[in-house]
Amino acid sequence: MIEFRNVSVSYPLPGRARRAVLENLSLRIDRGEMVYLTGPTGSGKSTLLRMIYMDLLPEEGVVQVGDYRSDMIKSSDIPYLRRSLGVVFQDFQLLPDRSVYENVAFTLYVTGKSGAEVKSRVLGALARVGLSHKQKRYPHELSGGEQQRVAIARAIVNEPWILLADEPTGNLDPAVAEEILKLLIGLHRQGMTLLMATHDYRLVRTYPMRTLAFMSGQLVEVDPRTL
Amino acid sequence: MALSYSLREGLAGFRRAKFAVIASTMTMTVALVLIGLFGLLNFEAQRVADLLRQRVGEVELFLQDVEDPVAEALSQRAAAMPGVIETEYISREEAQRIFREEFGEGAEVFFDELFLPASIRVRVDPDYATPDSLARMVEQMSRWNRVDEVVFNQPLLVKVQENLRLLTLAGLALGVVVLLAAIFLVANTIRLTIYARRLLIRTMKLVGATDPFIRQPFLFEGILQGVIAGLTSGLAVWGLYRLLVRYYPELAVPGGWLGPVLVVGLLGMGVLLGWLGSYAAVRRFIKSISLH
Repeated sequence: MIEFRNVSVSYPLPGRARRAVLENLSLRIDRGEMVYLTGPTGSGKSTLLRMIYMDLLPEEGVVQVGDYRSDMIKSSDIPYLRRSLGVVFQDFQLLPDRSVYENVAFTLYVTGKSGAEVKSRVLGALARVGLSHKQKRYPHELSGGEQQRVAIARAIVNEPWILLADEPTGNLDPAVAEEILKLLIGLHRQGMTLLMATHDYRLVRTYPMRTLAFMSGQLVEVDPRTL
Repeated sequence: MALSYSLREGLAGFRRAKFAVIASTMTMTVALVLIGLFGLLNFEAQRVADLLRQRVGEVELFLQDVEDPVAEALSQRAAAMPGVIETEYISREEAQRIFREEFGEGAEVFFDELFLPASIRVRVDPDYATPDSLARMVEQMSRWNRVDEVVFNQPLLVKVQENLRLLTLAGLALGVVVLLAAIFLVANTIRLTIYARRLLIRTMKLVGATDPFIRQPFLFEGILQGVIAGLTSGLAVWGLYRLLVRYYPELAVPGGWLGPVLVVGLLGMGVLLGWLGSYAAVRRFIKSISLH
C-alpha cells in the first residue's frame, strides 16, 4: 500500500520565498490498484511520484510505501525501497551506449544479480513488452514506442510490486501511446500496482480507472468519464 | 559479483567515455610531471644546500708545535666527535704550499721560514653544521691540550643558514601551491568526466543501486587513470633527469636509486590522486543528482 498522510512540500523560489506544491495531502493507494494522476503541467504530479521513490522527502507529514516510511527511512535504505518499485519516464532515460539487453540487464547487475538468472529474467521482461527480437539493438535504432517498451522492461525486470509511470505517453503519437497504455494495463492486470501521471485525458476516458486530479492545488478524486 | 561488475564497468568507462578519460588522464599526467619536477628540483636544491652548509661549516683546529703522531692522535680524537664525518691533517709544509698557491706572486717573501701552524680541518655532517652545535664543538676542542685555537666562519654560516631557511620556506610554499593546483586540476577534470556520465549514475540510483556500488566503478577507473598517469609521468621525469645528468654529471645521485624512487613515488601519488579525485567528485555528484 502507498499512503500519504498530511503531506506538505514546497520548492524554493528566488529570494527566500517558497512555492507550495502539495499542502496537507492525504491519499491511499492499495496494492494491485491502478490510478491515473492528472492535472496541468507543474501541478505536482511528478512531485508526488518523486516522493514515492523518495527522491524528495516531505517537509511535513509522512509518505509510506510498503514497509518504508519517509520519516524513519535511512538514506542507505532508499536503494532497497527503489528495488521494490519500477519507474518509467516520458524521455525513456535509456543508456545510449548499451544495447536493449544491456539496458534491461543493468537493473539486475546493479542490484547484485548475475549469470543465468539475469539472462532468463531479461529475456522474460523483453518478451512481456514484445521486444525479444530487438535485444541486440541500440536505443537510437528504435522508435519512440520501442524505446518506451525497453524502459518498461527495465522497470519490471526486478519484479516490483509498484510501477510508477510519469507521462509515459507524452513523447509518443496517439496510436503508439495507446499501445503503451495497453501494455501498462496488461501489467496491472497481472497484479502490479500502477500509478500513472498523465495529462492525456483522451486515454484516461478510453481506459477509465481510478483517477486523481490536481485542481487548484488540491488532489481530488474525479470520474474519468467527465474529463 | 559486485567487484567483477565494478572492474568490468571501470574498464568499460575507458571505451565508453574515451575523450573524457583521455582528458583526465592527461591532466593527471601533467599535474604529476609538475609535482615530480618540483620534487626533483627540491631534492637537488637540498643536496646543494647540504654541500654549501658543509663547506661553510668547516672547523679548523690550529695546533701548537706538535710532532706528527700527536697531530694524528688529535685528528683521530676530532674524527670521533659526534657529527664529524671527515678530518684532514694539514702539516706546516702543506699549509705553506696552500698559502703559496692561493697567494700567488709575491708569496716568496714569506718563504724563509715555516710561519703557518699545522692544523686539522674538520668536516661535519650537514645536519650538524649549525652555528650552535659548531660553537659547542669549538668550545670543547679549544680545551684540548696542544690545540692553539679553534675557529669556524660563524658569521657566514649564520648568513647561509638564514638564507637557506628562507629558501626552504619559499620552496615549501611553492610546493604546496603546486600540489594544490594539481589536486584542483585533477578533481575538476574528474568531476567533468563524471558529469558526462550523469545519466548512468541517475539510472543506477533509480533502479536501486547503493551509493558504494555506484562509486566502485568510478573509483576503479580513477585508480586506473592514476596508474597510467603515474607511470607515464614517472618515466618522463626520470628521462628528463637522465638527460640532465648527461650534461651536468654532478647532479647524479650515487647508487642510482633516484629514478626508481621517482617512478614508484609518482605511481603512488597517481593512484592516490585518481582515487581521491574520483571519490570526492562521485560522492558529491551522487548526493546532489536528482532522479527526475
